[in-house]
Amino acid sequence: MNAPVQTAEARELALAGMGASRLRKEDARFIQGKGNYVDDIKMPGMLHMDIVRSPIAHGRIVKINKEAALAIPGVHAVLTADDLKPLKLHWMPTLAGDVAAVLADEKVHFQMQEVAIVIADDRYIAADAVEAVEIEYEELPVVLDPYAALQPGAPVIREDLAGKTEGAHGKRDHHNHIFTWDAGDKSAADAAFDKAEVTVSQHMYYPRVHPCPLETCGCVASFDPIKGDLTTFITSQAPHVVRTVVSMLSGIPESKVRIVSPDIGGGFGNKVGIYPGYVCAIVASIVLGRPVKWVEDRIENISSTAFARDYHMDGELAATADGKITGLRVNVVADHGAFDACADPTKFPAGMFHIVSGSYDIPAAHASVKGVYTNKAPGGVAYRCSFRVTEAVYLIERMVDVLAQKLGMDKAEIRAKNFVKKEQFPYTSAFGFEYDSGDYQTALDKVLEAVDYKGLRAEQAAKRADPNSPTLMGIGLVTFTEVVGAGPSKICDILGVGMFDSCEIRIHPTGSAIARMGTITQGQGHQTTYAQIIATELGIPSEVIQVEEGDTSTAPYGLGTYGSRSTPVAGAAIALAARKIHAKARKIAAHMLEVNENDLDWEVDRFKVKGDDSKFKTMADVAWQAYHQPPDGLEPGLEAVHYYDPPNFTFPFGIYLCVVDIDRATGETKIRRFYALDDCGTRINPMIIDGQIHGGLTEGFAVAMGQQMPFDAQGNLLGNTLMDYFLPTFVETPHWETDHTVTPSPHHPLGAKGVAESPHVGSIPTFTSAVVDAFSHLGVTHLDMPHNAFRTWKALREHGAAL
Amino acid sequence: MEVKLDKQYPLDVDAARAWALLTDLKATANCMPGAEITEQLSETSFKGGVKVKVGPAVAQFGGTVDVIEAVAAERKMVLRGKGADKGGSSASMDLTAIITADPANPAHCVLNGQAAVIVNGKFAQFGGRMMVQVSDMLLAQFVENFRQTALTLPAAEGSPAAAAQVAASGGDAAAPAAAPKAPVVAREINGLAIFWALVKSWFGGLLGKKA
Repeated sequence: MNAPVQTAEARELALAGMGASRLRKEDARFIQGKGNYVDDIKMPGMLHMDIVRSPIAHGRIVKINKEAALAIPGVHAVLTADDLKPLKLHWMPTLAGDVAAVLADEKVHFQMQEVAIVIADDRYIAADAVEAVEIEYEELPVVLDPYAALQPGAPVIREDLAGKTEGAHGKRDHHNHIFTWDAGDKSAADAAFDKAEVTVSQHMYYPRVHPCPLETCGCVASFDPIKGDLTTFITSQAPHVVRTVVSMLSGIPESKVRIVSPDIGGGFGNKVGIYPGYVCAIVASIVLGRPVKWVEDRIENISSTAFARDYHMDGELAATADGKITGLRVNVVADHGAFDACADPTKFPAGMFHIVSGSYDIPAAHASVKGVYTNKAPGGVAYRCSFRVTEAVYLIERMVDVLAQKLGMDKAEIRAKNFVKKEQFPYTSAFGFEYDSGDYQTALDKVLEAVDYKGLRAEQAAKRADPNSPTLMGIGLVTFTEVVGAGPSKICDILGVGMFDSCEIRIHPTGSAIARMGTITQGQGHQTTYAQIIATELGIPSEVIQVEEGDTSTAPYGLGTYGSRSTPVAGAAIALAARKIHAKARKIAAHMLEVNENDLDWEVDRFKVKGDDSKFKTMADVAWQAYHQPPDGLEPGLEAVHYYDPPNFTFPFGIYLCVVDIDRATGETKIRRFYALDDCGTRINPMIIDGQIHGGLTEGFAVAMGQQMPFDAQGNLLGNTLMDYFLPTFVETPHWETDHTVTPSPHHPLGAKGVAESPHVGSIPTFTSAVVDAFSHLGVTHLDMPHNAFRTWKALREHGAAL
Repeated sequence: MEVKLDKQYPLDVDAARAWALLTDLKATANCMPGAEITEQLSETSFKGGVKVKVGPAVAQFGGTVDVIEAVAAERKMVLRGKGADKGGSSASMDLTAIITADPANPAHCVLNGQAAVIVNGKFAQFGGRMMVQVSDMLLAQFVENFRQTALTLPAAEGSPAAAAQVAASGGDAAAPAAAPKAPVVAREINGLAIFWALVKSWFGGLLGKKA
């Protein structure tokens, strides 16, 4: 107690708790190349797996000849669906209530589908052996367009579902129909349209894209034939769910299955699903009794593991003549590929698409989503967004622009007119979501002022008046609301497991701590930010708090990291686990200071006796006491576990503005300015928030300006290498300006809402809004993505604006 | 990936000899760089292979060729080829070839080819953007080989071509087509030549647009 007395502020600063821009704990190992990714894992006796894939998009397997492959020295096994049949592992359940072929069973349904696996001494021998497996196919007609797939005479994609008129999400009325999902009130919406003074409608296609994380998917499966237990290192955003599924599929008790997600090089939804490669590697390891590694290459990643989007959308708005929206109708045809493997909460086959009423107070709304099978790879994951929120935000933001254009109103003005007002929160939308909090107008005003919106519009008018202007100038504006933090287990589950999340905190005798979580970081910086939450809650410096995730044998059960759920759900679990510890610590401190609990005040890192600053016990003092001599009637130790089941989703929002200059000669679009204001509620680490926003904006830029997965008529995917698939580097990426407001979530223990996906969700329609705005004086209401130079140049020519 | 080709190649070979070569499928196949007929399965069905090498990428297609139609009166041949490569590509082609005589010059003819080529798998994914150009190159080499081979065939007696052959052999009418020289045909596709032709056609295209 002889140390110089530090002020509370100084002590708080030293904790590096919530609100501090603490440097990322993860970076030291990553920038030195010392991360530990799945492909870094080497085990004694490890074999390598490679996959034989279908060259065609639809066909029957006539014959498979393994002999030549098996004759290659170093090849241990070649397995096909027929080999998996006795184990009943040739098909597996998907997260969406469908089944997917592990290895093609009699038929191939999409190009690059897994047909056989080869296990060999090394990756090179495996790759050679893949070429030696001879497969004869009988080609079948290919269906790639979901509208064509729904025609009466369309080829049957899923023969295994013959006669099944009931799917996981209700009636199927066609052999290629998966489900039709409705939300909102159709008759109320129809009535709004009947009475409307103005209506607008717009068709738009949200292209199939791929999250394309830097690290592809893979695993190392290691079955111990003596102990009978299975350890699998895997690129998974949800290791606990993988453990449950693996146990259910293999029959190995969950207690003997250990799933570890080591360092993950980006996920963005691509690493939520269970892929055939994982299942095959596990089976191979069980069969051969040796560790088996499978790591897909880039082409396999883009071609066969989960894609995102592929929504064909029709939107309609009804409004009064002065621009008050009275009704919304949405019809979507969703291309899910050959198996329905969307990663959505079980009851929501179109995810949270019904956030489609956006930030606007729309009294009547209805949305209908029809899922369709086609001869493409399965997927339909949330690519850096909460489930299907990107599609929903894109639709409503485009529609509001279209309406503004029809009415000759300004984009900002029509938005302000229709906002859910600050005093309306908590606000229940026409689709039944209860928005927790928001203040859209304040945020919009802040952005318009920051960019001098009026000045920009004046500049645009001047450019339009000049026929020799070399560029078309466009201003995009989006005022979006996200729904994240899935979710309340009474409505949200994955394979029957509620979408809670968990945290276990142990304070060690000398006052440092370890926290273990059910989530898994893939670049979000959990090891940094989670420690900050504990630091603030318990007064322990974040430097001495260790955060561990991803190992199912040590971490408490959790549903993983996707849909911006880590902070809203796991972050809350941390706070509440810490508060359990805090309550016990208070009892111990009271005992140590010989006062009543109620006579103690908590200040930063210590319990103080009210009115006497010199009498206090720090959390470190308390921890020692807890292990050394706990008060009578209290258990020794200082730890807690909390499973947090969120009462509601959280609703972060943002106001994004983008200025583009389109070269009238080349169609090249220059992003002159991009201003992103985000409100994610309470901010835990502003530096990490900025980093997440930069990343999300960059991925949004990628989607809007270049990413697509084009197929030719035969179902060949023509964009599955990084030569074709656009991943922006710092060369292409524009400069981002970020800003924020803070509107805490009232139901979250910390008030935090989650942020990583907002910039992706919000930026994509902003780019489209800007590009279309550049053409709006020519009567253009919508242009589909991607807005690459060639497509934009064609639009310039079509509308007589090319130089 | 489907590529449709419709090409006319004027040849300095008379129609009769060109047709004679065309109906000899083995010999015709030999004119295709990298192609070979390995086995005759029936009167109209053949087994064979094509090896295409572009830089480090080699595709070796094995498959069958069927004669769907051969109409001597029209000098028309319809073929269907189907094949697969072990590396995960497959291809099929419907080809209609017609030899038309050149009315202005009986020693010349025109080889008309219409083809629909469908390629699947890796070859389509990687090679998609070069399919048309590579096909053009392949066909150009094929036609050159075809021309050279046809020229070595004995011409029908009394035909202008026969007279030309006599003239070429130094006026020795006694040995008109006795020792036709073995044709020097390119058997492998030259990857560098294809690449160079591609570069030329790209730049040609660019310059063409500017002009």
